Amino acid sequence: MYNDKESQKIVDIIQNYARKHSLFILAYGTGCGAIEIPPTMTSRYDAERFGIRGAATPRQADVLLITGYLATKSLKRVIKVYEQMQDPKYVIGFGSCTINGGMYWDSYNTINVLDKYIPVDVNINGCMPRPEAVIAGFVKLQKQIQEGKADGWDKYKKNLDYYKENQKKIITNWVMPDFNW
Amino acid sequence: MNSLVLLLLIIAGGALLSYFGHRINQLLGNITVFIVALIIPIYWFTQVDFTETVSLTISGFHLEWGYNMYGKLFSMIVMILSPLALIYAIGYMKDQKKLATFYFSFLFSILGMTGILMSRDFVSLFIFWEIMTWSSYLLVIFLGKDVEKTGIKYMVFSALGAYAMLMAIVIINNNTGSMMLADYFTAFGGFSLQTKLLTGILLMFGFALKSAVMPLHVWAPGAYSNTPMAYTSVFSGALSKMGIYGLGFVVVNLFAHANMSIVGDVLAWLGAITAVLATFSAIFQDDAKKLLAYSSIAQLGYIVTGIGIGTELSVMAGLYLAILHAAFKGVLFMAVGAVERQAGSTDMTVVSGLVRKMPFTFFASLIAIIALAGIPPLGGFVAKWMLYESLITNGNFLMVIMIFLSSTAAFLYCYKFLFGLFLGQQEPEFDHVKEASPLMVVPMILLSLFLMVTGAYPGIVLKYIAAGMTNLGFHDVSWQMSVLTNTWGDSVNFQHIFLAVVVVFVAFLIFLTWRGYKHSTKVSTKDISVSGEMIKPEDNMTYSKDFYKPFERVLQPILKWKINKYYDEFGKGLEALFDFMRRIYTGNGQTYAVYVITFLVILLVFSKSIFGY
Amino acid sequence: MEGIGYKILGAVLTTILAFVVGMFYGGFSRKIIARIQNRVGPPVWQNFLDVLKLLFKKTSVRYGVMHHLAPLWMITMSVTTLMFIPILKDGLFFTNLNFSGDLIFLLYIMVFGSLGMALGAGATGNPNTAIGVSRGLTQMVGFEIPWVMALVALMIQYKTTSVTGLMDIQSQSGTWMMFSSPFAFIAALLAMPGMFRYSPFDIVGAPQELASGPVSEFGGKYLSTMMTSGSIFAFVKLTLYVDLFMGGASNLIVLVLKTFALYLYPVLWGAVSARFRTEQSVRYFWGWPAFFGFIALLYAAF
Repeated sequence: MYNDKESQKIVDIIQNYARKHSLFILAYGTGCGAIEIPPTMTSRYDAERFGIRGAATPRQADVLLITGYLATKSLKRVIKVYEQMQDPKYVIGFGSCTINGGMYWDSYNTINVLDKYIPVDVNINGCMPRPEAVIAGFVKLQKQIQEGKADGWDKYKKNLDYYKENQKKIITNWVMPDFNW
Repeated sequence: MNSLVLLLLIIAGGALLSYFGHRINQLLGNITVFIVALIIPIYWFTQVDFTETVSLTISGFHLEWGYNMYGKLFSMIVMILSPLALIYAIGYMKDQKKLATFYFSFLFSILGMTGILMSRDFVSLFIFWEIMTWSSYLLVIFLGKDVEKTGIKYMVFSALGAYAMLMAIVIINNNTGSMMLADYFTAFGGFSLQTKLLTGILLMFGFALKSAVMPLHVWAPGAYSNTPMAYTSVFSGALSKMGIYGLGFVVVNLFAHANMSIVGDVLAWLGAITAVLATFSAIFQDDAKKLLAYSSIAQLGYIVTGIGIGTELSVMAGLYLAILHAAFKGVLFMAVGAVERQAGSTDMTVVSGLVRKMPFTFFASLIAIIALAGIPPLGGFVAKWMLYESLITNGNFLMVIMIFLSSTAAFLYCYKFLFGLFLGQQEPEFDHVKEASPLMVVPMILLSLFLMVTGAYPGIVLKYIAAGMTNLGFHDVSWQMSVLTNTWGDSVNFQHIFLAVVVVFVAFLIFLTWRGYKHSTKVSTKDISVSGEMIKPEDNMTYSKDFYKPFERVLQPILKWKINKYYDEFGKGLEALFDFMRRIYTGNGQTYAVYVITFLVILLVFSKSIFGY
Repeated sequence: MEGIGYKILGAVLTTILAFVVGMFYGGFSRKIIARIQNRVGPPVWQNFLDVLKLLFKKTSVRYGVMHHLAPLWMITMSVTTLMFIPILKDGLFFTNLNFSGDLIFLLYIMVFGSLGMALGAGATGNPNTAIGVSRGLTQMVGFEIPWVMALVALMIQYKTTSVTGLMDIQSQSGTWMMFSSPFAFIAALLAMPGMFRYSPFDIVGAPQELASGPVSEFGGKYLSTMMTSGSIFAFVKLTLYVDLFMGGASNLIVLVLKTFALYLYPVLWGAVSARFRTEQSVRYFWGWPAFFGFIALLYAAF
């Protein structure tokens, strides 16, 4: 039954429907963009009507929000947290700093392109993006999940060497365990 | 020869053989102990004739020994627990010194207990009681730690109890002219009120002291934690039940049937208070041994409450709980001993994460803790159910609330015991720990199997309890294999409960394990989510100190007064009195000479007014 | 054999009913809280989607056998308790095994699941879980006292310890026990938010407190099992309350209406109250609720 393309689609449709309408965001404010998250989640711009909820630990979360610039110190923790999450997992990059370095493009200890270190599914630009832009980003992520294109987690597993090489180049004191999945 | 005398001779002979065997060679001694440990129960279960009696007359005292159903019930506890504990002890006491005296005292305490349960007259009861006390005292001071605090305390309290019993025996002999237990029971109705109260309370004092009822419990925590763990399982499992045996006789036989149930009520209240306060003390202990010791005191409180109330269901509950307590406390003390031997310490703030290294010990203690907490479907719930039902149908609602409070608080220390020793972070200093030797593990597993079976079919044990209760004056105690009924007609079917739980558990287990089986990864306890940090080896991630701090803050006013303090104050007061006496009795010969001469002078001078001429 | 077939079918149907109704109640509570906070809130079937998404996770992480078994204990407890509570007064499918148990058994089996989850949470090695469990157990000592006092008062007053017996008395006398034992009802009602672990007694599983306490290391299929068990258990508790105090129900519509009416009380109170610390909650439960329980006991005895 699972070899039939038609029925595989139905199972996928149900799975993606469930996944897109119930996103658990890890409560981890990595940078200054995290100030825009509380208005998004509370009464004015109510993200809960999309099924978006906060989760306390990486074991329970689906979505990792990288809100703003990442110092190399935080990058190490973010990588550990990303590897502790369970598949399928999505990463949303907030703000211009994750796209091309933004305001801190020439700083000595922040990263410029987040996509080199962990796979990013949706980028939201702005400095800071307003809650309407954040919700637009979530809607875009939902559309990608529905179409089955949000496969950053799969990319990470397949191109592990590429990502690890980039990570090790920029993080100097590498005291991390090997990733196991 | 009479089988009862042969039984006692076998035990005594076994003690001597083990003593000499261990003096010669450890391996020979171990083999001897193993053989003796197997022979005693086999002989008891197959050869002993429970209907015969032995009569001896020694220097004017007429001794009579024989079994009745009630004594047989308690002997079953002794005969099942002691051999398992002996086999456990062979593994536990390896490479320790003075093993000859250890096994000698162990077997002699078994002799004492067996003798108590078959005495039919007061003299042999007292003799065997003292044998039991002395041999257990030798084991309390065996390791040589804290001899003054715990050993002497135990001896003083036991002596107090024994002298109280002796006084009661003498008064009884004075009033009835004979030493037989049966004569005492028949003649009890004819005593004056004072004699009834005096003998009854004195006897109860002696028995309640052995059962660690508050406020006579202060010897128990120290004694239970200082003995080697191999003996503590018997100490707390079987020895304390001797007190219950006596209390059962006195309270139920005498007072309930002589219409003096107020004494039983007082005893029941003491039991309830013991349960609550001992549970609260157990929650805040850091040492696993002391935790189990306080928990033993609390469980004995339940049993005493059950017996004190005196109705059929409550006495059945008390006796059932007594049997189960022997089983699960035996397992728990054996588990703590295994942990102590393998990991080196039983302090719960030091040891952690042994679940993967000692899985069998963990499994046995898990079953024992579930039975202790009284959670269905295991056997502890059966006893608790009977106790609650009897208290509610009797109308003692305040006591029910206290027992419930103690039961709920018992969950706290149950979890603390399991979490502190077995679960939690795996520290590298305990990486070398291996599972205990089979000699230690097999007795634990056997006892846990017993606990599991009685959860579904409590009738196996109820048969013997019902037979034993006929000796306490209850007739036609009805019992069923897996259904229990209370006086209002409500019943609980334990077989259904057990089946339902097992079926549902297995169904969901299959579902949960099958789903996502291929993609499941096992991680170690170092890979926990601590905000993305890496745990370095020197980080302490074990939460074990001040484990119940919020609860301690709630109970702050109650925990301030401890009974130990009152005994200490009393002791200090006595010492002050003795200091004062020291001034009169100075120990100086010349002072005494002055006293004598002064007395003679007074006699001479006032001879006219004193003697009349 | 017919009896066994009907019984198994009834058990499965009851479980599915409890699951569906419990999930919907969770969704309704989120919607109601959202409306109180002047926003729209998720759709009422949101909990189903959460459970489905967690079940469809592709990898799972386990820490050992105890950790794997923990959600299992919880759901075994919920389903077993469901079997022993009369859902409807009579009927073919929903009576299950309710003749074989009684109130004391129900009191004890409700603790079985939390103990299992506590052990599994302890096996992960995260200190947050241990702290959460110790707080949860302390709170349990708190709310059990007025709850048990209320139940014992009922048992003494009506001289029966089985739930079906109490329901029969209510249908015979025609009045609900809410009105004939008012103090017991008040005490049990005041203990209810503690049992549901809603605000203000939700310090155990709060995400902001200890990274959600005991459930912090459970993900994927384990978390979905726990959420399922939580919603089934909520339904079980509500049904028990309705059976004891509101006269039971003779068909499903009435049952749903009554349980929902009762469920509004912890939801509404929880939406507007702050969180108590552990010792504050225990002191609260040993204060007024225990006082009402004591009055209920005196009322029942005389």
